[in-house]
Amino acid sequence: MSIPGFGAEAQVYSETGSKGLVEVAIPEGSEWRIEVPHKTILKFKVTEGVAEIFGTELPINVELQISGTKTMVYAPIIYETFKNKTVMSNESEEIVEYLSNDSVMANYINLHLVVEAMRQQVSDNNILNPTELQSGPRVLIVGNGNSGKTSLAKLLSAYAIKSDSTPVLVNLNPRDGVFSLPGSLTATPISDSLDVESANGWGFTTTSGSLFHNPKQPIVKNYGFVDVNENLDLYKYQVSKLGVTVLSRLEEDIACRNGGVIIDTPALGIKDFTVIENIVSDFEVNLIVVLGNERLMIDLKKRFKHKSALQIVKVPKSEGLVEVDEAFIRRTQEESIKEYFNGNYKTRLSPFKTDIDVNDHTIYKCVLSSDVNSALSFLPAEPSSSNLDNSILAITQLPSTHKSGRELLNTSILGYVHVSKFDDAKGKIKVLLPFPGGFPRNMLISTNIGFNE
Amino acid sequence: MDLGSDNASTLLEDYAQSVSELTFNSRPIIDNLTTIAQENPANADGILNIITNRIYKAIPDQKLYALYLLDSICKTAGNPYNILVGDDIFKLFSHVFQLGNETIRNTLSSKLFESWKVTKVRGNFPLFPREQLDKIKTFLDKAGYPKKNGNGNSPDLSNMTLIEDTNSLIAVFQSRLQSHPDAKLSDRFNALQELKKLLLSQQMKPAELKAVQAQLNTIKEQDNNHNSNINTPMPTPATTPAATPGASRVEPVKNEADTLFQALLLYGLVKVDQDPIPGSKPDYSIVLPKIKYQIPKGDLSNSALQDILTANLHSSIHRSEYEKIKFGELQVVSKQIASDLQGFLNNNKPRISDLNFLYDAKSSKCALCGKRFSTDTDGATKKRLHLDWHFRINKKLSSSTSNVQSRNWYLDDYDWVNFKDDALLEFSTSETGETKDAGIVAKTNKVAFVAVPANDSNMNNRCIICRESVKATYNDELGEWCWFNCVRAPGEGKNSRKIMHASCAVESSKKRGAEDEVNGLKKQKV
Repeated sequence: MSIPGFGAEAQVYSETGSKGLVEVAIPEGSEWRIEVPHKTILKFKVTEGVAEIFGTELPINVELQISGTKTMVYAPIIYETFKNKTVMSNESEEIVEYLSNDSVMANYINLHLVVEAMRQQVSDNNILNPTELQSGPRVLIVGNGNSGKTSLAKLLSAYAIKSDSTPVLVNLNPRDGVFSLPGSLTATPISDSLDVESANGWGFTTTSGSLFHNPKQPIVKNYGFVDVNENLDLYKYQVSKLGVTVLSRLEEDIACRNGGVIIDTPALGIKDFTVIENIVSDFEVNLIVVLGNERLMIDLKKRFKHKSALQIVKVPKSEGLVEVDEAFIRRTQEESIKEYFNGNYKTRLSPFKTDIDVNDHTIYKCVLSSDVNSALSFLPAEPSSSNLDNSILAITQLPSTHKSGRELLNTSILGYVHVSKFDDAKGKIKVLLPFPGGFPRNMLISTNIGFNE
Repeated sequence: MDLGSDNASTLLEDYAQSVSELTFNSRPIIDNLTTIAQENPANADGILNIITNRIYKAIPDQKLYALYLLDSICKTAGNPYNILVGDDIFKLFSHVFQLGNETIRNTLSSKLFESWKVTKVRGNFPLFPREQLDKIKTFLDKAGYPKKNGNGNSPDLSNMTLIEDTNSLIAVFQSRLQSHPDAKLSDRFNALQELKKLLLSQQMKPAELKAVQAQLNTIKEQDNNHNSNINTPMPTPATTPAATPGASRVEPVKNEADTLFQALLLYGLVKVDQDPIPGSKPDYSIVLPKIKYQIPKGDLSNSALQDILTANLHSSIHRSEYEKIKFGELQVVSKQIASDLQGFLNNNKPRISDLNFLYDAKSSKCALCGKRFSTDTDGATKKRLHLDWHFRINKKLSSSTSNVQSRNWYLDDYDWVNFKDDALLEFSTSETGETKDAGIVAKTNKVAFVAVPANDSNMNNRCIICRESVKATYNDELGEWCWFNCVRAPGEGKNSRKIMHASCAVESSKKRGAEDEVNGLKKQKV
């Protein structure tokens, strides 16, 4: 079949070596699994039928671009008269793509049905008994590394928004920047559909201004490392702080209250039980979903025996999961940092370069748990080119009139800046702000997140 | 007789009242009403009037229960009820069938009608006239019922099926014990209770299960004989042969009235082989319930009652068309996960017909972003606002080279907790947002300029938001140099050079919305 207007566009692709168009028909209930390396762009459009990327339905005949991702397009339905068809311009041999009908999506849809049925009961109750308000399901997703936790969280979020619910998505994996940069722990009400074209498939926030998608509004807590075990005490502390904030939001916001919470986590096993236990109590979790790890489910059931209101279930992990290596993770992190400052091909942002005087600011650094006995402290960092160059600075919400590093534990993040160069001699720091304006005179935290422009 | 007719009218009034309470499948109500009918054959006409009226007038879903009552009376009390209603039975049956849903139709065709074919009242007369039953059969054949389902006939033996089997027997025995206390009966009842405990407590091997099933069958057999013992000595009421014309050609089934089996048949727990060979024993089989994993707990009618109560309660909530569909589909899920959450997750096969709330109930899809909207008024309004929003955004993004307007830092905890995401969306804010825009634009249309401060000689300036340069021009009317299409930054003094484009100001005020007040203060401090 010919697609109007597509031929002309194909010319554009030829610059990067287009080999022409490939048409893919995705049978009902099948997945079109795609692996696109970084720096390679896959352009495609759905021409007929219904196709979703982790629950987010794709528009018909609108060209989409994805890059640096291992994802899948799922075709949930087939109508008599339609086929689920996708056209892509296959421009690189590095792109891996194949069809598979070995899908666990049915189990994931069941999980959404369960969660949505719980929300329905809660929202009905909240209308009928306004004096005894309940909260929607607080769902915790746990599992090994590479078990598809984030994909499942994405899927549950996307289906929730399709069902007119507004859950709060909590990301407790500092490796991924969800609606923020890596090193952060965030909570974001999912009030509109996700942006499948963005760097990690979540989307943009109010930091990015006018967008093709409605922006989201996260609350951002700083952790500053990508690995949970670098400073477990600080991690747990920030998780519980975030828990307080999220539960308060649920108290204030009926839409979020009915929608509940979906929590994505780093790879946790039974040896990390205290972390899981903390999360469960901090967020008042009432449904734990264990991904593809029967043993972990049984262990958790034993350990949580005393919690009668807590349900623990398992869902299988997808066969389509591919191992992602450190380099790939690192590149994805860089992409999300780049996107925070520069946007993407659809939403070009104009970051703002400026110089700040180091003496006007106090920069703190959180200590590594191995460095000091109490890992819960921030020390004033000695600014130097060696520790600041090419790193990310977190601007806290605390005005710099506060003199104690202790208070940094209880604040959240106003935004991030990138330090490209620290001039030791002049005491000037070259920074990149996400948008023009004065540099906030707030306390700064230097993170362990590095980034080269 | 005056007194008698008085009593009769009170009785009928009460009866009508009780019948109107049959809004769900309530075993106790049906049993009670059956007993009353049995004890008052003199009022058969009145009682049948009430029931047939109920069948015709009740809402489609509830007609079946009144028909169950009629069925129960005809089977238990028999003459004169079955004879009086006999000639109308096709009309009643087809009425309920035509207006009923798929479940009701299946129940009617595969259970109720099947039971009518084999039920005999005292004196070996068929329950209803042969010609009426033939009419129903022809009718059902045309409609293509009962639908064949392959898995119904050969259930796999498991603890679960036997527990259900035992449960049904226990229920029957219990009700019988209450009406005819009997030592033997109570022994058997206790044995059944023990058996149920055993089944619940341990997993059995297939051989053991078979043995238990055989035992259960024996109990059923004995129970049949027991019934015939009770029933045969009873005086056979006179029947009118004229009312049962086909009586001599009836299918040769078991001679004795078999209330237990009728009860089991009636409630669909036991299925009878449809065409028994003349003279041979009919083949009975246990029917698995349609909905998996729903273990009947305690009194069935109680849970049914609860369903009705919740449904009533929930119907008081105002829902849009879309929300009604979603509610209906999720209610089905709620029921299934109540008993076995993990089983549902593992085994449920989601079909598109169960997922209307994700797809078809929102059939209107945005061509630009794929977002779905329902077609009810609520959805139509939302889609209109959504498309307006696309239009605004596209226009803005194509007109400005840089996208720096209305960008914000993250919120702090307090503001975030009190933030409402509606402020980000295209729907609810647009109303207030648009009026706000209109206000600012109207205002700026008149005074969309900033006079260059008198002591200032530099006519070139920059918008503090988009950083584009702005040149002052001289206006004759005003007699002053002005930066046109600009406004002074809020909170700045008369001689300040901090200006911004009116359009940038509108953008930022619109996007920030409510949180701006708090943030604005902070930013000025900055």
